[in-house]
Amino acid sequence: MYMPSVEFHQATTLPEAFDLLQACGPSTRVLAGGTDLLVDLKAKRVTTDHVISITRVGELKGIALDNGSLRIGALTTITQLDESPLLEGGFDPIRDAARLMAVRQIRNVATIGGNLASAVPCADLPPILIAMNARVHIASRDGEREVPIKEFLLDVRKTALDRHDILSAITVPQPPPQFGAAYERFGLREGNAIAVAAVAAGIRLATDGTLETATIVLSAVSPIPKIALQASSIVQGQHPSDDLFARAGEAARGEADPISDIRGSASFRRDLVAVLVQRALKKAVERAGGDVL
Amino acid sequence: MSIAVTFLVNGECHTVAVEPFDTLVDVLRDKVRLTGTKKGCGVGDCGACTVLLDGKPVNSCLVLALDAADASITTIEGIAKDGELSAVQKAFISEGGTQCGYCTPGMILSATALLERKPDPTSDEIKDALAGNLCRCTGYSGIMRSVSRCSNYQSDGTCAKPSHPLPKRDKSESDYRPSSGECGSVGVSIPRVDAGDKVTGRAIYTNDIALPNTVYGKILGSPIAHGYVKKVDTSKAEALPGVLAVLTGKDVPDTMYGVSPARYDEYVLARDKVRHVGDEVAAVVAVDERTAEAALELIDVEYEELPAVLDPYEAASEGAPLLHERYKRNINTHVDQSFGDVEAGFAESYLIREETFTGNHIYQSPLEPHATIATWEHDGTLVLYTSTQVPHYVQYMMAHVLHIPLGKIRVIRPTVGGGFGGKAETTPLDLCAAIFSKKLGRPVKMVYSREEMFHHGRGRHKQHMKFKIGVDREGVIQSFASEIYLDGGAYSSFGVATAYYAGSVLPTLYRFPNYAYDGYRMMTNKPAAGAMRGHGVPQPRFAFECLLTMVADDLGIDPIEIRRRNAMTPNTMTVNEMDVGSCEFLRTLEAVNEKVDWNEKYGKLEKGKGIGIGCGGFVSGAGYCIYRGQVQLSHEKGREPFQKKSTFPHANAIVKISEDGMAAVLMIGAAEIGQGSDTVLTQMCAESLGIPSSRMRIRSEDSDISPLDLGAYSSRVTLMAGHAVSRAGVAIVEKLLPYAALLLDCDPGIIEAHNGRMFVRGDESRCVAWEEVARKYFNDNGPLVGTGAYKPPDGLGGDHKGSSVGTSPAYSFGSAVCEVSVDLETGKVAIDKFTDFHDCGTPINPMAVHGQVEGAVVMGASETILEDVQFDDKGRILNPNLHGYLMMTIKDAPEIFSGLVDSYEPRGPFGAKEIGEGSTLPVLGAVAHAIANATGVWIKDLPITPEKILRALQEKRDSPETTLADAKA
Ligand SMILES: Cc1cc2nc3c(=O)[nH]c(=O)nc-3n(C[C@H](O)[C@H](O)[C@H](O)COP(=O)(O)OP(=O)(O)OC[C@H]3O[C@@H](n4cnc5c(N)ncnc54)[C@H](O)[C@@H]3O)c2cc1C
Ligand code: FES
Ligand code: FES
Repeated sequence: MYMPSVEFHQATTLPEAFDLLQACGPSTRVLAGGTDLLVDLKAKRVTTDHVISITRVGELKGIALDNGSLRIGALTTITQLDESPLLEGGFDPIRDAARLMAVRQIRNVATIGGNLASAVPCADLPPILIAMNARVHIASRDGEREVPIKEFLLDVRKTALDRHDILSAITVPQPPPQFGAAYERFGLREGNAIAVAAVAAGIRLATDGTLETATIVLSAVSPIPKIALQASSIVQGQHPSDDLFARAGEAARGEADPISDIRGSASFRRDLVAVLVQRALKKAVERAGGDVL
Repeated sequence: MSIAVTFLVNGECHTVAVEPFDTLVDVLRDKVRLTGTKKGCGVGDCGACTVLLDGKPVNSCLVLALDAADASITTIEGIAKDGELSAVQKAFISEGGTQCGYCTPGMILSATALLERKPDPTSDEIKDALAGNLCRCTGYSGIMRSVSRCSNYQSDGTCAKPSHPLPKRDKSESDYRPSSGECGSVGVSIPRVDAGDKVTGRAIYTNDIALPNTVYGKILGSPIAHGYVKKVDTSKAEALPGVLAVLTGKDVPDTMYGVSPARYDEYVLARDKVRHVGDEVAAVVAVDERTAEAALELIDVEYEELPAVLDPYEAASEGAPLLHERYKRNINTHVDQSFGDVEAGFAESYLIREETFTGNHIYQSPLEPHATIATWEHDGTLVLYTSTQVPHYVQYMMAHVLHIPLGKIRVIRPTVGGGFGGKAETTPLDLCAAIFSKKLGRPVKMVYSREEMFHHGRGRHKQHMKFKIGVDREGVIQSFASEIYLDGGAYSSFGVATAYYAGSVLPTLYRFPNYAYDGYRMMTNKPAAGAMRGHGVPQPRFAFECLLTMVADDLGIDPIEIRRRNAMTPNTMTVNEMDVGSCEFLRTLEAVNEKVDWNEKYGKLEKGKGIGIGCGGFVSGAGYCIYRGQVQLSHEKGREPFQKKSTFPHANAIVKISEDGMAAVLMIGAAEIGQGSDTVLTQMCAESLGIPSSRMRIRSEDSDISPLDLGAYSSRVTLMAGHAVSRAGVAIVEKLLPYAALLLDCDPGIIEAHNGRMFVRGDESRCVAWEEVARKYFNDNGPLVGTGAYKPPDGLGGDHKGSSVGTSPAYSFGSAVCEVSVDLETGKVAIDKFTDFHDCGTPINPMAVHGQVEGAVVMGASETILEDVQFDDKGRILNPNLHGYLMMTIKDAPEIFSGLVDSYEPRGPFGAKEIGEGSTLPVLGAVAHAIANATGVWIKDLPITPEKILRALQEKRDSPETTLADAKA
């Protein structure tokens, strides 16, 4: 399994990257950690003549707090994300996903930008980022624009990125008081297994202990992460309870749109969704300081 | 266009010309020539290529070399400082952290990076750090021990005194006697003789060898499962710059080959037909592997597709597509055996139970892919470097296909990164490389990719088993009948033997008064199935263990008790005429029973927790050679009739003492493949020579140096090669006795050799240095050489058809208890704990024995719950890689306790028997039972996936009355 012949370019600044994107053909690929791209190229799932490495582009690095909201540079590796003290507290749920992802060797190079830009159905970061209302920043020659992740992910391996664009950062707004989120996923083995089904939940408790808002995101069971609207509305305004969450799980089972493959049948995935919804909701409520009856 | 790039590798500056497509692993291996960094998959799944990039572990197969320009890289070669091993490396040596060694460099780098970050890691932190490094050999136990030992790690690579005391070993572990390596050899846990090379990256595997002027070959596999090859057009491939030659079916010898002489049914490359996806059609050799790979895509093959058959029952049906003309109704092998009076046995039974079980497609997945280098000397000798467990059979088969004498073939077996049966036969790589090399007059290297390994196949036969057992009121077996369909794939491979093994070893564990076995090995359009650890037996053993436990539950008998009541006894001729000698099966049962507090747990655990028992045993070496007659002279020799005796010695050894008497070189062809044979053979030889094993060197890799040994299969090495090396040692001592007698002025008959001295029995003060005697011998006579040979006993086995399979000089026994937690909502199983006790005779090296058990437990548990090669309806493999074919990582592996019971096998050297394969056999049944115990449902088809568990639980909920009785239910 060898890499095909490609031309390799290295950008050290964003403008350089834009120039290179302009100069190379439409099939050009940006290289970040390479943990998706190199595998795809070797397996001939992706073909391209040009690869532009952005790993040395300083503007895309670093994690910072800005007015309470978290800005994560696209080149932030999963390890950096996991180890950043800035995630402690409100942004902790992102770590649920970071820690479950892949293995150390991969996490040390894999980037958050690559995880989103790859847009594969089982990617671990998008669901929790959706549940936390994160936004994607897209840079191009014309400046930076911003879209909610939901609008960024269009279909399997399709995003809102234009061929001249670079994903520059992800911002996660400061979680409001009484907010909690959690990510639960099922993999076939404990180490290095991608999600067969996964659920992220983000909830906010009202002062009376009921769920004021809830976003339940299903992942690996549809082409792109899917917000389970019915399940979410079932819990809204209600007091958290196992029974309530079980009903939400049942609703989500129907809302999932899974396929059957070597990791499990569609119906198994639906069963998993029902369970993971309950677990994610429960953990999210606990994180928000609420009680589950 | 290449670009000059500079890296700091292990502190040294290297400037190399790099292509844009080069990954770091290839640059390190091929251009910097540091081959300690291994390649196991190329896509991030195995961790063998782990290096530290600016201090952090990464998979170097997923890093573009250009992107890593100017980086600081640490490879395994950079871990030892000025020849002083780091604490981690030392721990991997002393704690059994390495076996085949292929995962070891990556493991050590991951562990080192962890310890630099966290000098005192918890066991969860260790597991998290190492989860990206797969190991197929150790079961991760030795690795956990090694890294745990290094707590309080210092940045200079040493460890301060451990901050928390090392776990105390309880009494049954006391056989882990550490040794200075200086004295008493047999029975001592000396570290592996090759461990030092393996922890430093110095061990040379076939793919690490770069002979000058080498070119590289690749093989094109069929995209369809069944069809005629109408036309092969290689012109475009030949025109590709860098391509040197192309082979198709018409260019290879018109000689079929295989494993069982009665069923040679493979051509080097397909001549008329392809029979599975991946079946070899054409081959290319080019200046580099990348060009050869590209050339494969330029070969146009026209096929006439035929319907394919993928299921063994369908294959047997009327009108099914026929794979080979010679196998009518696709029956490759039919076994029809009956012993005693089966029907009468059932008639007398109090309870009869029939169940159907299904196995899975398991692939050995050694971490090291198969690799070969062929080169011809000017005198017409073929030199073949190959990653094999059976150098002699490769030599034999090369002679057969290439029509040259055995004596003209030199097989070199470099370090082998695991086999488990997957490297127990000659591959198309061996044959194509030899043919290409002859044609070009240059060395030709050929290596399988991970995907090609799966397509080449030779994994475990998937077996479909209908079992019927009859027992009396007390649970004593009256009669047992089995019908098994083995999914053989497209060629015979080892399959004839597999079909017989599937029946013949069952009666060695429990007493069967009456027994019938009806077996069909079927041809299907899938890669050929072959021999894998426990050859043919693990799936029937799994099924039988489950069935026996079901019967125990039906009768209200404890599952351990029913095993006691049926357990094999020493010195018993089984109903199918297997000659069981030593047998401490009962002791292994009692030992696990006590160790796990079985009576406190069985039937008393909380919901979702389960405990289960499984037992098993295996042969200590096949009683007969794979081919018949004496060692073949040429391919023209006809087939010989079966004789009930060994016609030549199966294991042979030479010991040569250095002229100064200070070193003994042991030459034997037994294949070290990671299982530790070099070490135990060294120990046994040293023991019989009477010198410390530290004075020994073993040369087992070269057929020019070492005499014939049949190789590493059927768990034969410890017993058979062990006899050969001991006898060679004794032969030397006998030559020395007269000289020692002269020096000691006594009768030679009263002299003993031990620990480097020769002395008068009973009066050790009257002694002389061993080397002095040896020197004297040399000065008077010239070379001091001893030889030893071993033939299995004559007359093994009965007179029925297939009676030879399953015969052995000795049998091993073992009992294992598995403890699991099952998430009843998702079906996910966590294997928490394994306790195994084995009767392997006298252990030559207890640490090596435990290493085999630990590895077998994890491999067996992994195949029970995770592994399965999956096919689509066109016969294409859906998961020919290590992210789809899931093997346990360190995070999935249970805590393992491995214990041994006292045992002595008179037919074994120093009382020893086997452990390598027998250790797999109890595992599957124990896991299955534990899951049934935790869930209340039996899953009878492997692997026992969460999905199957969930379905069974749902079915049980929907119709409670139809479910099976279980201790829990
Ligand atoms: C063994 C293994 C295990 C894995 N396990 C998991 C897992 O458990 N969970 C999981 O979610 N993923 C997993 N992955 C997938 C992968 O590691 C992640 O998706 C990772 O985050 C990708 O990031 P990267 O930086 O390596 O991306 P790259 O491979 O560099 O890029 C991926 C894609 O995104 C594009 N891209 C990258 N960055 C940008 C950018 N800034 N702007 C525009 N386009 C960009 C690239 O052009 C490419 O198409 C695994 C991969 C491997 C090899
Ligand atoms: S070879 Fe790089 S991870 Fe397997
Ligand atoms: S020692 Fe780990 S793979 Fe062999």
